Amino acid sequence: MSSGSGTMVRNLLLLSAVGLSGAAATYFVEGPARFWANWLVWMVFGIAVGLGCLFIVALEHQVQSVWSVPLRRVPERLSSLALWVTPLVVAALLCLPVLYPWARPEGASVPAVVLKSAWLNTPFFIIRTLACVALWFLAYRLVVKRSFEQDRSRDPMITVRLRRYAPLVLAIFALTLTTVAFDWISSLEPVWYSDIFGVYLFAGTFLSGLAATTLGTLYLYNRGRLPGITKDHLYNLGGFLFAFTVFWGYIAFAQYMLMWYGDMPEEVFWFKQRTTGGWLALSLILGIGHFFVPFLALVSRKAKTNPKRLRWVSLWVLAFMLIDLYWLIFPAVGAKVRLGWPELSFALLFLPLGLLAARAAMAKGEDTPVGDPFLQEGLEFRL
Amino acid sequence: MPEAPFGVLALYPTAQALLDAIPGIKARGFSSLEAYTPFPVHGMEAALGLKKSRLGTLVFIMAVLGAVSGFLFEWWTSAVDYPLVIGGKPFNSWQAFVPVMFEVTVLFATFTAGLAMLFLFNKLPFFGSPILGSKAIRGTTKDRFGLLIMPEAGVLDVEAASAALLETGGSEVEVLAAPDSTPPGLGWWLKTLSGITAACVVTGFGTAWAIKIYPTLPPMVHMEVQPRLDAQKADSFFADGHGMQLPPVGTVARGYMPLLAKSPEEAGKELINPLPVTPAVLQAGRDLFNNHCAVCHDRLGTGKPWLTSAYTAKPADLQASTYREAPDGYIYYVIAAGKGAMPSYAADLSANDRWAIVDYVRALQRSQHAEPEDVQ
Ligand code: HEC
Repeated sequence: MSSGSGTMVRNLLLLSAVGLSGAAATYFVEGPARFWANWLVWMVFGIAVGLGCLFIVALEHQVQSVWSVPLRRVPERLSSLALWVTPLVVAALLCLPVLYPWARPEGASVPAVVLKSAWLNTPFFIIRTLACVALWFLAYRLVVKRSFEQDRSRDPMITVRLRRYAPLVLAIFALTLTTVAFDWISSLEPVWYSDIFGVYLFAGTFLSGLAATTLGTLYLYNRGRLPGITKDHLYNLGGFLFAFTVFWGYIAFAQYMLMWYGDMPEEVFWFKQRTTGGWLALSLILGIGHFFVPFLALVSRKAKTNPKRLRWVSLWVLAFMLIDLYWLIFPAVGAKVRLGWPELSFALLFLPLGLLAARAAMAKGEDTPVGDPFLQEGLEFRL
Repeated sequence: MPEAPFGVLALYPTAQALLDAIPGIKARGFSSLEAYTPFPVHGMEAALGLKKSRLGTLVFIMAVLGAVSGFLFEWWTSAVDYPLVIGGKPFNSWQAFVPVMFEVTVLFATFTAGLAMLFLFNKLPFFGSPILGSKAIRGTTKDRFGLLIMPEAGVLDVEAASAALLETGGSEVEVLAAPDSTPPGLGWWLKTLSGITAACVVTGFGTAWAIKIYPTLPPMVHMEVQPRLDAQKADSFFADGHGMQLPPVGTVARGYMPLLAKSPEEAGKELINPLPVTPAVLQAGRDLFNNHCAVCHDRLGTGKPWLTSAYTAKPADLQASTYREAPDGYIYYVIAAGKGAMPSYAADLSANDRWAIVDYVRALQRSQHAEPEDVQ
């Protein structure tokens, strides 16, 4: 490692340390609720990026897509982020009585919550969380780990095996991500329920995975480390980003419109909260920023192959995933929109750590899955 | 100079062979090329050097237009021209318009894409491309890959083009004659129009015969045709020709008791509560009272509305002595006819319902003003 990158690591760690002290101060000055709400935002963000990448890997094997083989190493490497966040997830179990009304005696006795108590109770919640964590490690083993071994062994049977495990990993993905959505986010307001909520988080997760994959690909591409990758490959990444931007918009609006129309008190209060006061502005920013901006930025064919455009749209999408999570989580813990030094501290704490983890991950194995028998065919892909 | 043919066509055995052949043909100076393949071939656009289609821009503009007109249409119909309250929502509710806007956007976009492709880019109404008459058409829709060299600026050296195709691995070379572009003469018009007329006549009569002259089996009419009079329909049975008749003067609907009294005081003197005070009646009265009256009069009848301060009317305190002493018929009349800001409940509550409420109001009054013997 050159001394230049050594200083960079040190500086990032320094920033993170500053963030850590700010986060600790948040706990004592602003109270544990704000601390844990910030924690939750970054935790789910990490899960989304990591699992999103894992999903892309499993999806490629499941549909036996060939164009993406030369790019697969990027999501494979970044999917390890899902494992890096597991300590955050386990630590977050401490926050149950702070953030979750059903984990407190007075909150658990609300009639609508009593009905859900078979699912929303502390022991079962802990079991589910630990099971999810275990399943992520299993999924990583099944569909990512062997691919790195293939770099050395060049055994084509490994590809066959990866493809065989893909459906199982997709099932694990669907199950655990829905659990994360219902448990960690929607049960913050246990009276509320939305059947589509798991899909909503999935849309954001897949987008985050795609954005991270695109950024990783461009990182290697701009340094000439992906020889043979053409604009045609980039076009597909851009196309995916575009398609799932629309998907997010569709799901987000479907959830909102049905509740707005139905006007049932146990559903609509959730949107009422988010469309009054400062939250209304945030909702508008979310709709415009998460849907219209990337939609217009990527609608033309040229834009989907333009590395610069793809880079800022990917960064934009990740930023809006964070805003989306803030919008989902924060109204449950405070009546007003609060953005201040605590939120900044948490960004300082986790962004450098995430970058360092991504950097370490990006150093693993070869830049392309050199042992995959479909690599050449994938490189020859043209539109 | 003889007219240039439509083009020279050859078949290649694989998609790769076709892709490989194109640079060679371009090197021989032919650049107006078209490929015919049974499925889209990756890399073909670049190989042929196709320019970016303008279709996308056109579709985008029309899609935006679709979204805007969808919105304007919804807004005009539901907020301007025919405002109806639906689900208690504001007339101009963009949320409810979005699905329609979405559909109209898709409609405009797909129609633009389809029609623009046919008319602007495929030069309709130029029916029947000569390709359709070629021998190669069977192959190119199944398992062969065709390449067509077309004239440039109206000129094509057929010999050289055939040679180029053969040398690059093509086979079954055929020269496709240009379609006849002279405007159709009178005979063509006569033939076409009489053909269309004949087709219309045959279908018309055929249909009439099938459903009118040959109706051995009545077609499925679901439950539409029934031997009864429909409301609002004409019928010869009655002298005035209406299927629906007005009821005779003085008809009273079953279970309906018109309110003959003119004021609550009058009703209080004339009307007698027919319902006995039984637990069942009080139970029914309680449910009705809580459903219909409690929002404004409170569960105990104290007249403290549960509504927000935006509701400025002052509901009466039914516990006040005026109403404790008022006869049953008085309260019955107020329920049926309304009073001031209180609407009439005649349409919602039958006569028995109203009396049950009166009994329950009495029970409420007594519960708040109990005599010593009540609690013994
Ligand atoms: C929408 C609110 C509303 C509802 C519902 C309502 N009331 Fe009233 N009621 C009023 C108001 C306001 C007054 C006072 C009217 C006035 O004095 O102009 C009133 C007055 C009365 C009076 C006194 C009338 C008088 O002559 O002074 C009676 C009795 C009464 N209500 C009974 C009922 C009963 C029984 C029901 C249920 C069937 C009912 N109300 C439902 C608003 C309501």
